[in-house]
Amino acid sequence: MAAKRIVIDPVTRIEGHLRVEVEVKDGFVTDAFSSGTMVRGLEIILRGRDPRDAWAFAERTCGVCTTVHALASVRSVEDALGIVIPPNAELIRNLMFCTQYMQDHVVHFYHLHALDWVDVVSALKADPKATSELAQSISHWPKSSTGYFSDVQKRIAKFVASGQLGIFANGYWGHSAMKLPPEANLLGVAHYIEALDWQKEIVKVHTIFGGKNPHPNYLVGGAPCSFNLDDANAINAERLAYVAKLLSDAKAFVEQVYIPDLLAIASFYKDWGAIGGGLSNYLAYGDLPTNGFANPGKFKFPRGAILNRDLSKIHEVDAHDPQQVKESIAHSWYQYSDGDAAAKHPWEGETKLNYTGPKPPYDQLNVEGKYSWLKTPRWKGHAMEVGPLARLLVGYGTGRADIKEAVDMVLKKLDVPVAALFSTLGRTAARGIETYLVAQWSQEFYSDLLANIKNGDSRTFNGEKWEPSTWPASAKGVGMSEAPRGALAHWIVIENEKIANYQLVVPSTWNASPRDASGQRSAYEASLIGTPVADPDKPLEIIRTIHSFDPCLACAVHLYDPQGRTLNRVTVGG
Amino acid sequence: MQKATLGRVYVWEIPVRFYHWLNALSLVVLCVTGYLIGAPLAIQQATEASFAYWFGKVRFIHFLFAYIFFFNFLFRIYWGFAGNRYANWKNFIPYRKNQWKEIKQVIAVDVLQRDNTPIETIGHNAVAGFTYFMTFLAFLFQCVTGFGLYAAMSKAWFPKMFAWIVPLMGGDFAVRQWHHAFMWFFILFALVHVYIVFYHDYVEGRGEISSMGSGWKFIEKEYHPTLKDEKSAGEKK
Amino acid sequence: MSTNSRPTIWEHAQSKGVSRRDFLAACAWMTAMLGLPASAVAQVTKALETQPRIPVLWFHFQECTCCSESFIRSSHPGIADIVLDKISLDYTETLMAASGKQAEDALHDTMTKYKGKYLMVVEGSVPTADGGVYCCIGGRTALDIVQEAAAGAKAMICWGSCASNGCVQAAKPNPTQATPIHKLISGVPIINVPGCPPIAEVMTGTIVHLLAFDRIPQLDGLGRPKAFYSRRVHDTCYRRPNYDAGLFVNSFDDENAKRGYCLYKMGCRGPVTYNACGVMRWNGGVSFPIQSGHGCIGCSEGNFWDNGPFYRHLPNFPGFGIETTADKVGVALGAATAVGIAAHAISTNIRKRHLIKEEIAASEDVKDCRAEQGGCEIK
Repeated sequence: MAAKRIVIDPVTRIEGHLRVEVEVKDGFVTDAFSSGTMVRGLEIILRGRDPRDAWAFAERTCGVCTTVHALASVRSVEDALGIVIPPNAELIRNLMFCTQYMQDHVVHFYHLHALDWVDVVSALKADPKATSELAQSISHWPKSSTGYFSDVQKRIAKFVASGQLGIFANGYWGHSAMKLPPEANLLGVAHYIEALDWQKEIVKVHTIFGGKNPHPNYLVGGAPCSFNLDDANAINAERLAYVAKLLSDAKAFVEQVYIPDLLAIASFYKDWGAIGGGLSNYLAYGDLPTNGFANPGKFKFPRGAILNRDLSKIHEVDAHDPQQVKESIAHSWYQYSDGDAAAKHPWEGETKLNYTGPKPPYDQLNVEGKYSWLKTPRWKGHAMEVGPLARLLVGYGTGRADIKEAVDMVLKKLDVPVAALFSTLGRTAARGIETYLVAQWSQEFYSDLLANIKNGDSRTFNGEKWEPSTWPASAKGVGMSEAPRGALAHWIVIENEKIANYQLVVPSTWNASPRDASGQRSAYEASLIGTPVADPDKPLEIIRTIHSFDPCLACAVHLYDPQGRTLNRVTVGG
Repeated sequence: MQKATLGRVYVWEIPVRFYHWLNALSLVVLCVTGYLIGAPLAIQQATEASFAYWFGKVRFIHFLFAYIFFFNFLFRIYWGFAGNRYANWKNFIPYRKNQWKEIKQVIAVDVLQRDNTPIETIGHNAVAGFTYFMTFLAFLFQCVTGFGLYAAMSKAWFPKMFAWIVPLMGGDFAVRQWHHAFMWFFILFALVHVYIVFYHDYVEGRGEISSMGSGWKFIEKEYHPTLKDEKSAGEKK
Repeated sequence: MSTNSRPTIWEHAQSKGVSRRDFLAACAWMTAMLGLPASAVAQVTKALETQPRIPVLWFHFQECTCCSESFIRSSHPGIADIVLDKISLDYTETLMAASGKQAEDALHDTMTKYKGKYLMVVEGSVPTADGGVYCCIGGRTALDIVQEAAAGAKAMICWGSCASNGCVQAAKPNPTQATPIHKLISGVPIINVPGCPPIAEVMTGTIVHLLAFDRIPQLDGLGRPKAFYSRRVHDTCYRRPNYDAGLFVNSFDDENAKRGYCLYKMGCRGPVTYNACGVMRWNGGVSFPIQSGHGCIGCSEGNFWDNGPFYRHLPNFPGFGIETTADKVGVALGAATAVGIAAHAISTNIRKRHLIKEEIAASEDVKDCRAEQGGCEIK
């Protein structure tokens, strides 16, 4: 059978614009290309500015994984200038980090990913009573009565009957890859609506400490908020009680809704434990420090790299080492002063836009040459996958008891082997598992914060190096973090009190970048190979795998169409 | 050296003098309060906000003097048409050839000191006139930007007339920055102005300083043979 | 009831089991939220009873999706209520189920079927440099797409600072020539809702206003709804009394910070920023930047990125170094002037020595002349 080309543009339910083009032969994907076609030039804009302002610019890299870029940015400046933040500031940052994970992962699961697995139309056929029984069998979440599900069903029925399907229009309803029974679908739809209402609550932790969400405020040297137990104008007992309630409500939602739903839905899709594995190398910078960021041994998410799925050997990762992380532009629309073949450590990184693609409107990009606005990062020359799966695998391989226990619990409940983690299903499950862990850790951070204040330490800011006059003439730093979507780092070079160079290597750069000079595929392209496609007109399976990465492209990613076809036209080709 | 005959001329009428000194006071008050608004003092105190209003007072004084400054300035423009020949607007805008000539002359004599030929303008010389014209433009700029900023916190119709400047300049931030930067123009102007009048009094004894008090200036008669020692000499022709 | 075949919001509410009493209460509440007099309750009620759900097309260009994220944080109305009951969100890359051709079909269906009737909302700026190659979707430039969709729109809302001011990508040197929508499109009513992002309830409030009154809310000179952008953050800030009292935070986490003094000296942009943060606050009224100890960065103002550094009240003076404020330039010029004056005074004393000597001698006589109130000759 001849190969068919499928283009999906735009891939929705992601951050940014994504175009996917794959080649399908005998019902399986055989090739794919990935291209980012939107750029804003933040690295260029950051040059010459005050390093203390950089977090605000960098935070605007992404509004979905808001805060993480601000965190990486303030860490890069603190690393460069040798600033140690007070313990309270570290705990506040950790709490904001955990908040972000819970909100982001729940929204990804229900609102960005679930409609790949849950059939909204099928939910109309469900028996509310049976749905109620199903819900009560997997969780003791209180909203599970027959009446509740019946109301949701009526609401959806009326919505569908209006003829204005809005966000549900043209979905992949009734697709042969949709396997859930109507009752599970109704449960999923009910929780879709509930989670939409819930997600706006947990982010209030950001509002309390950072003033707003999205894009809360950060501060080089600590946290901008102050503690004063005897004043209503600072963080006091009332504010702390608010945080405590938000965290415990979130933990309840994660444990009683998200995790049971994830397990219930996954149990119908175990075949996806063998699809979409892609790369076999994983990278995590680690995060959630408990004893300063200079001490990665005490991180909740450990740091390390895995090669060839060998969990017994965790490689050491050092972002400062000029030989480890390097970016190349063999297929990216940039110019390096010493040629396209060069691979540069971000401190020496250059950002010079150099569009050589076709003039729009175009049908076709030249993948033999440059075809993306994303640079291609490599760790010691290896293409690496980053994200929840990478984090858990590094934690699992490091032998961290809490991570191992949570992973094993899920594997046991689904009755699948460890190898099933290297897949689309594994990625989606890993996201849930780490949310479960983060919800627990957030309780620890909160208790630690309370204990610190109780012991009389209310400091949130270290201002020793606040004034630029205290800085060295030149300094270099790396700010690492784990964004919900994976390993994130910002490299900064400060000269004469100004930013001389600023380079971001974001999770989507690792996962969605184009091929490197030697032709190695990055994670998206690699994971699509071998994905089954039942109906080329409705390529739901491709979207599932892409969504399992939780694409977050402040710059768009487009997969190449060698035949230059756009939209979902299917043709017979080579 | 040839003996010079000093004539006594009534140059500055009472309204001009009144304007001048009120303007000087306003500028000092506006610069001091304006500077404080831009960079308030660092006070570490335990007072409750409800018991203090010092910054509010600073701002109030600034706004009050802004009004005084503005209407005083408006009056001066009127007097540029109604006042005597030395007060006339024509002294300020170098639209005639001989004014430009004088500008070159003054720069050569008084600033660069290449020449000792005395410059004998009775009122403002051309450079001074032109400088004052630039200050008038700066006055106008400060009034427009100042009241434009004030419009956002006032319900009164008057400042609202200036609200258009804010979107024109791209927002309050830019307007504020320029308003602040122009404060320095006035500080520099005051420095140079005070020096120059002292200079002329010291070097040439023409009574620049006292003239703003009494209205009379002393000039060397040989350069102005038609001059009469009377008040009417300054009257508008 | 509605003469339109599409069900109205009241019909939806009924189908959800909402009682008439609850529905009216919700209408009254929404009226209050919009800052309207009680007499407008009937109008709001009528609007929600009779308006079918308006088709909404939501476009993403050069942005970070923080506006979409903020939108779904709305506490009143809740996002599920808006999306399921109040509008028909026919195209949004962030939430819609369909992808690829199915998504494009949904877009074109609405653009054709509701030509001249749909509400277009835009998140993100449009790059215009180099023929628009810096943002292409489906091989088409953002400019191309925005022009096509605007042609059939009833009205347009520009979400956030990107679409209304250009935001971070338009900061100097604006490498992609990111351009706000109002500079590219004319002929369609445009509502600018700036902020990075705008407050959730400002976003949904703007939509509710359109739905309830079927007309554009009153806009200011920059096209922003007066309801939310007519006052400075400073004017509604609860820390304002500290400003007037001259009580300022001098360093983060100092004693004054712990007492909640004014953040003016920490660079707060509240005095130059028009937004509703001080009144409505964020995320259901929990807090806002100043309440949480960080100054306002002025995210709803045009050019706010280039007004840095954020931690100093006075900005860098254009064309000078990073630590150069107008005050530093002023002091330098003042010093230069003083030096100039001194040099001039010294040179005067040297070069005009004779003249001065004569003047000093003559000044005795001048004094006499003055005393006599008349002209006199110098001897």
